[in-house]
Amino acid sequence: MTEFVMEAKNVYKSYNIKGEKKGETKLVEAAKDVSLQIRKGDIKLIFGPSGSGKSTFLRCMAMLDKPDKGQIYLGDECLTEPGVDLNKARARIGFVFQHIYLFRHLTALGNVELALRQVLKLPKEEARKRALEALTEVKICDCANKYPSQLSGGQAQRVGIARAIARNPDIILLDEPTSALDPELTGEVIDTLRDLAREGTTMLIVSHEMPFAKEVAEEMIFYDEGKIVETGPPSLFFNAPNTDRAKQFMTRIINKTTR
Amino acid sequence: MDVWQQLIFLLEGVPLTLSISILSFLAGIAIGLPLAFLRVYEKEISFVVDGYEKLFRGIPEIVLMLLFYFGLGPFFPVPFGNAFFVAAFVLGIRSGANQSQIYRGAIRGVGDEQMIAGVSVGLSKWRAIWYIMVPQVFTFSTPGLGSEYALLIKDSAYVYVIGGLAEIMTLSLRLKSIPPYDVVTPFVLAAIIYIALTFPIAFLLDRWGNKRKKKIGL
Repeated sequence: MTEFVMEAKNVYKSYNIKGEKKGETKLVEAAKDVSLQIRKGDIKLIFGPSGSGKSTFLRCMAMLDKPDKGQIYLGDECLTEPGVDLNKARARIGFVFQHIYLFRHLTALGNVELALRQVLKLPKEEARKRALEALTEVKICDCANKYPSQLSGGQAQRVGIARAIARNPDIILLDEPTSALDPELTGEVIDTLRDLAREGTTMLIVSHEMPFAKEVAEEMIFYDEGKIVETGPPSLFFNAPNTDRAKQFMTRIINKTTR
Repeated sequence: MDVWQQLIFLLEGVPLTLSISILSFLAGIAIGLPLAFLRVYEKEISFVVDGYEKLFRGIPEIVLMLLFYFGLGPFFPVPFGNAFFVAAFVLGIRSGANQSQIYRGAIRGVGDEQMIAGVSVGLSKWRAIWYIMVPQVFTFSTPGLGSEYALLIKDSAYVYVIGGLAEIMTLSLRLKSIPPYDVVTPFVLAAIIYIALTFPIAFLLDRWGNKRKKKIGL
């Protein structure tokens, strides 16, 4: 039995994007030999400049993108091994998207209910009950019958979180859950995440919400150019990071939030 | 026969015209929807789908009907000896090729993100397609589906070539050849009936689509 809920071992992922000139392609290395372990109840926060590859790495963790090299473990199961039932594995991983991606044709309740019915195969009443519980947990039960187009960004993202937690996954991966929202709406989503943290939910979060990080994260991971540059508790980053690159980044981001 | 009698005579063809068109429309959904998803999500066999589309969009349906009815009918009387079956079958496989293209555009419109979100909650690819993509794909397809339906109503007129089916076109040709040998009125009446059959349903389909689009915020 491994002690880790989830583990990435030497993950490498690259992809091609269109270059500046016509017909030219540019290789982007989103993850170069990245390793990461998460224990039960851990809250880890990945941050770093945009384009550094952290979102791609997070998608690799959920196997929404396939790593080119390296292994991803969910408990004892190696997800990068051929022949693994990835659908079953993904049912145990909650994923929250930056741009939310609610199912547009379903109500808030329908969004949460779908996986309970079709993946966990719960009977109708039980699925409904658990979906409503998840919506209550993110304090959005009164919007259960609204469609995504009728929700504010903050409400929609809370439904997104409810969709991810309703299955009681082993871990929740959150990809910049607040960065696509209007500034005045990020608070309600942060409050929801804070509640989850208090309940001991295991989370790996890509985010730049620094006050929140300071409050809940056990470990912060500074990610740049496809690599983990520095790892440590929030106090390290807020006082004196070891690397210059992290120092620069922290100065810039703290100035931005206090401005 | 006066105009009213002629009109009543032609109206008797409406149920057959409608049933040929609606059946072939449904067959077109059953063929076109899987083809469109195969084309988008199973890149290795997309050439099969392309071939199917090119073949059945390229041959006039009148030629296909004659081929299946007179060419295959004698050898396979079941099902190709049945004029009604051949009519719905030919229009259905052609419509499948058209609808495949309509749905393919709609799949792009719905966007890959919806698919990724579906897979992220643990649904398999084909379950995500069924529960998340298909309902939205129909919404995105509505203007195109309305014209496809209209096309099928019109093209059902071609079945007069295989004879024996008393639909609107066949009946108007029959009217032409009985006293008073009027060669204009039957076709004017047929034109009016065809318009009456296409317009309201295409309109309703569009309205349904727009309503749904509003609901899902497009």
